[in-house]
Amino acid sequence: MSKLERLIIAVMFALLAAGVTLAAAQAQTPQPPQPTNSITGDSCVACHKDIYDTWQGGAHGQSLTDPVFAEAWNAQGKPGACLVCHATGYDPATGELKAEGVVCTACHSPIPTNHPTDNMPIDASPNLCGRCHSDPRFVTENWKLSAHYQRSMTCSVCHDPHSAGMKSVAGAINTRADASDLCANCHKGVMQNFPTSKHAEAGVTCVNCHLGFNVGTTDITDFVSAHKAPDHSFVPTLATCNKCHANQMHAPGESVAAAAIAIEESGGTPTPLPTPVATPIPLVTSQPAPVSPAGFAGLAGLLGLAVGMVLSPWLERLYRRMNTGRMNTTGRKK
Amino acid sequence: MSNPKVDRRDFLKITAIGVTALAGAQVIRRAEASEPTPSGGRQWAMVVDQSLCNGCGYCVMACRAHNDVSPEITWNPVLEAGQVGDKKIYLPRPCMQCSQAPCVDVCPVKASYYRPDGIVMIDYDRCIGCRYCEVACPYGARAFNWKAFTEQNPAVPEWGQPEVARRPRGVVEKCAFCYQRIDRGLALGMTPGVDPDATPACVVVCPVGARFFGDLNDPGSNVSKLLKARTSYRLRADMGTGPRVYYLSATEENA
Amino acid sequence: MKIRPKLSKLSPWLAWLIGLGVVIAAGVGAGLIVFWKGLWITHLTDLIPWGLWITIDLSSIAVSAGAFSLCAAVYLLGLKRFQPVARTATFIGLIGYSMALLTLLMDIGRPDRFWYAVVYWNKHSLLWEVTMCVTLYLTVLVLESLPIFAQFEWLKMRWPKLAEKMSHVHHYAPYLAVIGLGLSMLHQSSLGAVYGVLKARPFWYRPDISVLFIISAVAGGMALTVFASMLSARLTRRASVDDGLLDRVAYFIGWTLVLYLYFRFWDALSMTYTYQPGRTEGLQLLTQGPLSFNFWVGEILLGIVTPMILLLYRPTRTSQLWRMVALALVVGGVVAYRWDTNISGLMIVLSYLPGEPTVEYAHYVPSLIEILSGAGVVAFGLLAFSLGVRYLKVVNHSLTVEEHENRKVEAKKPAPA
Repeated sequence: MSKLERLIIAVMFALLAAGVTLAAAQAQTPQPPQPTNSITGDSCVACHKDIYDTWQGGAHGQSLTDPVFAEAWNAQGKPGACLVCHATGYDPATGELKAEGVVCTACHSPIPTNHPTDNMPIDASPNLCGRCHSDPRFVTENWKLSAHYQRSMTCSVCHDPHSAGMKSVAGAINTRADASDLCANCHKGVMQNFPTSKHAEAGVTCVNCHLGFNVGTTDITDFVSAHKAPDHSFVPTLATCNKCHANQMHAPGESVAAAAIAIEESGGTPTPLPTPVATPIPLVTSQPAPVSPAGFAGLAGLLGLAVGMVLSPWLERLYRRMNTGRMNTTGRKK
Repeated sequence: MSNPKVDRRDFLKITAIGVTALAGAQVIRRAEASEPTPSGGRQWAMVVDQSLCNGCGYCVMACRAHNDVSPEITWNPVLEAGQVGDKKIYLPRPCMQCSQAPCVDVCPVKASYYRPDGIVMIDYDRCIGCRYCEVACPYGARAFNWKAFTEQNPAVPEWGQPEVARRPRGVVEKCAFCYQRIDRGLALGMTPGVDPDATPACVVVCPVGARFFGDLNDPGSNVSKLLKARTSYRLRADMGTGPRVYYLSATEENA
Repeated sequence: MKIRPKLSKLSPWLAWLIGLGVVIAAGVGAGLIVFWKGLWITHLTDLIPWGLWITIDLSSIAVSAGAFSLCAAVYLLGLKRFQPVARTATFIGLIGYSMALLTLLMDIGRPDRFWYAVVYWNKHSLLWEVTMCVTLYLTVLVLESLPIFAQFEWLKMRWPKLAEKMSHVHHYAPYLAVIGLGLSMLHQSSLGAVYGVLKARPFWYRPDISVLFIISAVAGGMALTVFASMLSARLTRRASVDDGLLDRVAYFIGWTLVLYLYFRFWDALSMTYTYQPGRTEGLQLLTQGPLSFNFWVGEILLGIVTPMILLLYRPTRTSQLWRMVALALVVGGVVAYRWDTNISGLMIVLSYLPGEPTVEYAHYVPSLIEILSGAGVVAFGLLAFSLGVRYLKVVNHSLTVEEHENRKVEAKKPAPA
């Protein structure tokens, strides 16, 4: 038989092998019903109502509708630059945005096709939060100096990413005093002695010195105004002490407060801490590498091609023999 | 005249069967697992109180600093182990120093061996780097030096120096319960588990006091008392490895 | 006189040598880079510390099993007529074990300490037992191969006395065969037991894994021997084979495959009952996961079932083409089995945290360095065999018959008066 005929039969074998393999492989990875894949957050709320409620009442959910923001944004002529953070999926080139506010998919994307079988992806590192919150006005450079960052603590250790507020230790409500309770949760050693100190008697809590909140103030908006954040290096500096003790510091000849601040600004940096290196963990996944039915079908097709090339002369002889009913006397010896 | 071929063949057959049987018997005898460590004398054990551990990771760093461990290797990782109520629970995992250690059984050159006090040691001068022990350890406690670690160790602070030699490329290493501190402390008359200088670094540095170390054979040691007073568990005890690291669970009450 | 590159004079033999030389050079280069830089340039990790090289090592030892089985058949079962095939198998065995040693040399972290296992003993360790048996068996193979090297024409010319002494080792072949049988039975199954005794890996932890290793080794070793003999006979006149002998061996391989399939079937089936963390996932990796094509098509369909049918069905067994195809498939199946066993067990990462153990999966794809150095070792094996066929008459079923005839004639000569 001619080479072309052989090739044709071989291709038929290849297609058969590929088809069978494809069917077999796909039968083992049943395709789940496809989710709607809409990213407005309305499809997530069906299962994650609690989180949705928390999110909607918080700063992330209200990032576009908050009246303070809306007023300032409108007054500046609705600049697109604000939408980069205050909306999800804003495309400066076209001016279109995917959703208003910081919706689920701002952090949890791309949506896997067979959620809930596969978990939603999330990058728990500060890099994800830093996409918006590393604006220099947020002074998050200080966070990188902190011992917390260098011990690989992430933002979500203290901050609830959904409500964009502080996490609460069980029982406490979301107040500023609550943030100090968070500190006490780890730094138990400190909390053994601090409550009996003079500072504690005066009503000073952790966040007053280590985050720069004013003592006795309960309203955070006087400090956390637009794009401002407390100093997350957690290192009290001389200026911190001076907030209360300015007139008790001594400096010859000049205003104590001014002198203290001058010393501070001239280069008093916090003691650099040793930099632990993140331990690289060999990559593990919760599922094995996905089976590619198409890949297997391709391999099977190649095998089928080879088998077909080899078998085709024999098949032709068989066919002829069946049709003529006589021995094929001109058949070549194998 | 007898047919020499037949005789020789019979002789060979009997020899073959005999040799094979003998070899098989040897294999069966030798292939048994090695005996567990002798239980007299001191038997070091570590206890981790999970209700106190807050996952800060200081023990990881102290171990790395004292033992000059490369940043790419962790002898004592702190793993997340679920949650009790609102509180996350952590599990630091040093080498279990198993009394029936799979790694000691499988090392082809006996580079891993038992010390009389229960610590599983590695002779880094004997290890050939076949990594069979790494495959055999159920706890993943062994790490292989894929590359030579020659640069300065960022984990070692300026004011201190590591207490053991750095391992070369091509050998497997693991936590050894800071045997160097134990031995030195004992020689100076100190008590490991009580005196910080004689106790493993991870136990000493824990800021919340979640780790304990001591002699199980001494009923008055802190570990013996703890294990008597509280319910403890060991990792994968069902596998029969006999680990020497005990964990005190965090419960709703004490978490 | 025109100076033109003699490309037209490039004989197939020379082209083959050059091709192999290139691969070997690349392999040597890759190996040197590994020695110099360290194992971190491979894709091996602490989770999957054994990869492509260990597979090549296991496969080389497996396909060398033809040596002990055929020598045992010839010298212990009295099937003298297979002696020429046993000769080829012995030579292949020598090559295979040296390939294994080369691969291991690259794979262990301290190649300078490769001799430690012979000096420092751990009788409880199966890997120690394998190392000792392999070392001793390599010695046996060298001795058994001395008569083959004695056929080297240059040696016969230069040192005829030495060549004759080497040839005389043939006299001790039965004793060497006994020792070789004992050593091989030990280490071929111990290689399986290296995996099988690890309680930490539930997918490997079963007693029959050693049985599977030795049966597949016997099938694969004999298959490679016959395949290599047939291929050499087709390619060069220096190799001549007695097809009847090879047909009988192929028939035996067919039945070995039946036995192998039997054990494999029950081994896999028994693992499907009740969920055991680690073991069930391992089987799933093989049957449904990323290894499923390799398992179902490579190991079972093409590695066992198809060659079994081809070799037991006379018309295909007697056909040169079909027999060679079947034998090549057997060898491929044996290699695939060892790859699957090694990787599937290592990919399963069983958690040791309290509670029901959960399973995660590690990943491994061989790096270029590993592939190049592995290919270099394989090319070395091919080169050694090709040289053996060309210069040592390794595949020559008529030669040894003459030798035996000569001996017989000499024995019948009357003593000088």
